[in-house]
Amino acid sequence: MFDKRRELSFKDSWINRNLFNTWYNVVLTFLIIIGLSFLITNLISWLLAADFAIVRKNLTLFLVGGFPRDQLWRLWVAGHSMLCCFGIASGVLWRSAQAEAQAKGFAAEQHSWLDLLRRFWVLVALLIFFLSFTRGVLPYLLLVSALGVFVVSRELARRVEPTVTHRGLFLAGLVGLSSFVVLAGTSGLGALSVGGLIGTWTLFEVRHTLESTHQNATAVSRFAGLGAGVVVWQTMIAIGFDGYGWDTWTGFHLNLFVTVIGISSGFPIGLCLALGRSSKMPIIKTICVVFIEFCRGVPLITLLFFAAWMMPLLFPRSVVVPDLVTRCMIVLIAFSAAYIAEIVRGGLQSVPVGQVEAAQAAGLSQIKIQRLIVLPQALRAVIPAMVGQFISLFKDTTLLSILKILEMLHGSRVSNSQTEFLGLGLSGVTLTFVAVAFWVVAYTMSKESRRLETRLGVGINQNLGQRL
Amino acid sequence: MKTQITASQPVSVYADATKIAGKGKLIIQLRGVDKHFGAFQALTNINMSVGEREVVVVIGPSGSGKSTLIRCINRLERHDKGSITVDGIELSDDIKATQNVRRETGMVFQSFNLFPHLSVIDNITLAPRNVRNLSKAEAEATAMELLERVQIPEQARKYPGQLSGGQQQRVAIARALAMKPKVMLFDEPTSALDPEMIKEVLDTMKDLASEGMTMICVTHEMGFAREVADRVVFMADGEIVEVGTPEHFFENPTEDRTKLFLSQIL
Repeated sequence: MFDKRRELSFKDSWINRNLFNTWYNVVLTFLIIIGLSFLITNLISWLLAADFAIVRKNLTLFLVGGFPRDQLWRLWVAGHSMLCCFGIASGVLWRSAQAEAQAKGFAAEQHSWLDLLRRFWVLVALLIFFLSFTRGVLPYLLLVSALGVFVVSRELARRVEPTVTHRGLFLAGLVGLSSFVVLAGTSGLGALSVGGLIGTWTLFEVRHTLESTHQNATAVSRFAGLGAGVVVWQTMIAIGFDGYGWDTWTGFHLNLFVTVIGISSGFPIGLCLALGRSSKMPIIKTICVVFIEFCRGVPLITLLFFAAWMMPLLFPRSVVVPDLVTRCMIVLIAFSAAYIAEIVRGGLQSVPVGQVEAAQAAGLSQIKIQRLIVLPQALRAVIPAMVGQFISLFKDTTLLSILKILEMLHGSRVSNSQTEFLGLGLSGVTLTFVAVAFWVVAYTMSKESRRLETRLGVGINQNLGQRL
Repeated sequence: MKTQITASQPVSVYADATKIAGKGKLIIQLRGVDKHFGAFQALTNINMSVGEREVVVVIGPSGSGKSTLIRCINRLERHDKGSITVDGIELSDDIKATQNVRRETGMVFQSFNLFPHLSVIDNITLAPRNVRNLSKAEAEATAMELLERVQIPEQARKYPGQLSGGQQQRVAIARALAMKPKVMLFDEPTSALDPEMIKEVLDTMKDLASEGMTMICVTHEMGFAREVADRVVFMADGEIVEVGTPEHFFENPTEDRTKLFLSQIL
């Protein structure tokens, strides 16, 4: 009995069936094994022989570029509040998703840190990888405390009642913005966006409380929101906590920031462009088509050169020309908005005509049909393409290096021209380091997008009940 | 068609669909309606009236313009000539008027057209909340009553994709009823269903008819037409060929075209 089973398992084993089933597969298998082993042994021997002193010496340059060295605490504080923001947001969202699942009669999701670790271990591994190049205990302690902040804020947010999820999200937004304020100071855009967020929050809360009792709830809440926003905005300017604006930011930190801005501004603009392109009004349609086709038809490098040398000429004399980083961000936003617009347009076309007709027949207005029926279905359909665009935007931020902006890739080149490393041929080492950093972030983005897809697929797929 | 029709002259005396079955006042009136799709003429000189609480069944071979006719009534299709009046509002390019008509007319489609990203109850409450501005609680209470009426209250939290075709169509009926419409338009509501599910949908429609809802149904269900209709309208090639009570229509058809059609399907 035992022998028989053993024989079976040998003959029907996966290896036997897939790798050695015909003579040409045997040949192919051996060729690939030989090739792979050469590759891997060479890679390992290179890694072992390589001198990572250049990375160790320049880690700060890679990560934060030329940020003033005595101001690095700002980055650590910003990092902490960023993680706190993620913690709060993920906590309240988890809670509300759980409540929703319960209301719909699905099995309540069990909370597990292990699951979270499974999702983000690459990112954590990357942080530890970064830290492995530092000396001293302090960075490790700070990393542990930052992760601790994440854990604690998520644990607390997880206890928030699902009815007040919006408060958790507003708070998360505020904490996230505070990381920007710590870096860039209380003037300018930081103050404006914090004021805007608090104004919106006030508007939301006031309308919520007044809705059942007051006739003019909307009007009153708008007034209150605007008032609160302006007050906060002015107060922050009056406080005058100084900082370093993004025009001075460099390093991996800049790559990430430009990506975040590119996505968060490019997406809504792209959405409007897509809707504009499918609109019936000829002027709006023409403007959108011209903009999209212009941005898509020109290489990104050309657009960046345009930002560097031509865009300043377009500003009127009385207006202060924005700095180079801002101009590049404008161009990147426009570029990704154009691509996102085309992706969204594809999604809009995938929504069956019957959906619009059913909504029309119910008497919904055109705007509500788009907002409630068409866009939710269209956007769901294009998540993979959209995230692909986000990832390519992230990778495209390295193109800023051609304008001598000290982002991560350029930092790696600069480190190679330092006198102690000049001519040692260490580009391989630094480029590997850059590649690992970019790959980890891009991989996490694509992994999270797949998760989002599965989650939002609920309701469309036939096989329900399993929420991942 | 053999002869060219002029003015608002019916094809024959039996094609006069303007006389309502006599119960209430007039609610829908079509006068001399033409509709073209490019060079193809889908509707030719349609004159028809529907009274309150009346059930009109429209039948005819495929491509005869039945669906186009019913879709003109809530302006999912724009008519080219003539006039359509629903509940005293004339349909025109005026969006407000169209919206007002659509509020008063519920429509049920052949392919259900439920919103797949919303749960059953959200499907039903969407329009009342966003068009009639009802509160969530109010709209959900009405929705549950309606689901009770179409006999699937237990499916309220599910998504359309989880329901059978018959259940989906009943949800679609509940969704249309949630707006408390004065008229219900049914565009071949059972054509996409498996045979064993047709009955449950037809039963729902029969209940609705017996409660006095004004209904226009495009359907191939002759049994339903015979049992429920106050009037049967027979269309062919974009024209109304013959109109009559079910008895007249099924037992005593006058026009050759009608006889041919009935001989093919019965």
